[in-house]
Amino acid sequence: MPEDHDWEAYKVPPTRTPVSERTTSVPNPVDYFQTAFSNVLDAPVTFIRGWIERWQNSNKFYYYHQKFRRVPDLSQCLEGDYLCYYEAEAQWRRDRMVDQEIVEIVRERMAACKQREGPNQFQNCAKEMELLAQVTKAYQDRYGELGYHGNARTCLMKQKHRMMEERKAAQKNQ
Amino acid sequence: MAAMSRVLRAAAAWAVRRASSAGAAGITGITGTTGITGIGPRLPGTLVPVRHSGDHGKRMFIIKATSFYDSRFLNLLRFYLFLTGIPVAVLLTYINVFIGEAELAEIPEGYVPEHWEYYKHPITRWIARYVLDAPEKNYEKDMALLDVEVRKSELRLLELEARRLMRHRGDGPWYHYETPDKNLVDNSMKATPDN
Repeated sequence: MPEDHDWEAYKVPPTRTPVSERTTSVPNPVDYFQTAFSNVLDAPVTFIRGWIERWQNSNKFYYYHQKFRRVPDLSQCLEGDYLCYYEAEAQWRRDRMVDQEIVEIVRERMAACKQREGPNQFQNCAKEMELLAQVTKAYQDRYGELGYHGNARTCLMKQKHRMMEERKAAQKNQ
Repeated sequence: MAAMSRVLRAAAAWAVRRASSAGAAGITGITGTTGITGIGPRLPGTLVPVRHSGDHGKRMFIIKATSFYDSRFLNLLRFYLFLTGIPVAVLLTYINVFIGEAELAEIPEGYVPEHWEYYKHPITRWIARYVLDAPEKNYEKDMALLDVEVRKSELRLLELEARRLMRHRGDGPWYHYETPDKNLVDNSMKATPDN
């Protein structure tokens, strides 16, 4: 069964709608709609889902997130050691996937903040905006224009060029 | 009695008159006293009230284009789709309802999970366990292949280097060429140097 969204990720603040005082004797039709919906749709579906979950809880099994050991990086490999290159390349690919997921999560948080705040988004979402800007800039610096055939070697060369530029800029400033 | 017979006779005369007037219009009476001759269009002979069934009405032969091929195609389509579709649907429903997906948990201390225990859906786990190779096995196979190729390439480079040096220095076992015997050389033309 597909899992629900993680409700703990963002604690929605309690709503501040005021309690309305009844001024008419006409009953609220929304109550009728709510009872109809819950009796016709909500209760049977919840009952069946609860039955299924009780059945599945009797014989549960688990899955885990795989933890990979860190291996020497591409910059720590000796030249010509192709086995070290292979392991470093695999580790670099895993790290790139993790970084892509991190950027995706930060983007989702930004979108959720915008949706929540509505017209107040430019004021209240400043932290999420800042975080997204930093994370995307960092991702672009590291993996930015490597292209489809980017691998650990091209990424290392990009880092080397970046450090050279920084050193030149630092020397020019002196 | 006489009045009744006179009424009856009047009724019969009236019926004949009516039949004759209808005969003039073209209908032949039941008695057949005034039949019209000739070949004009006329209504069917006997006037009988016909009763049709209440729900369907008069049975009609409706002329329309054939639906034989269409209905045959749709029947066959449904048959062949459901032949494997229904077992697959039943199997998937059973698996998703009664077996269910796995739950995420932290790896317990000192326990190394099997490679199929990293997947959620039971069918994926089954495929990872019984059909595919473990990713560690694949990794090691790739590394073994790389290792063999690395050794081959190293030996080939060494061989090329040795060949180059032996050809250059001439002090190795390779690059020995058979030269002709020096006793076979004819030096007689060197006796007259100023030719």
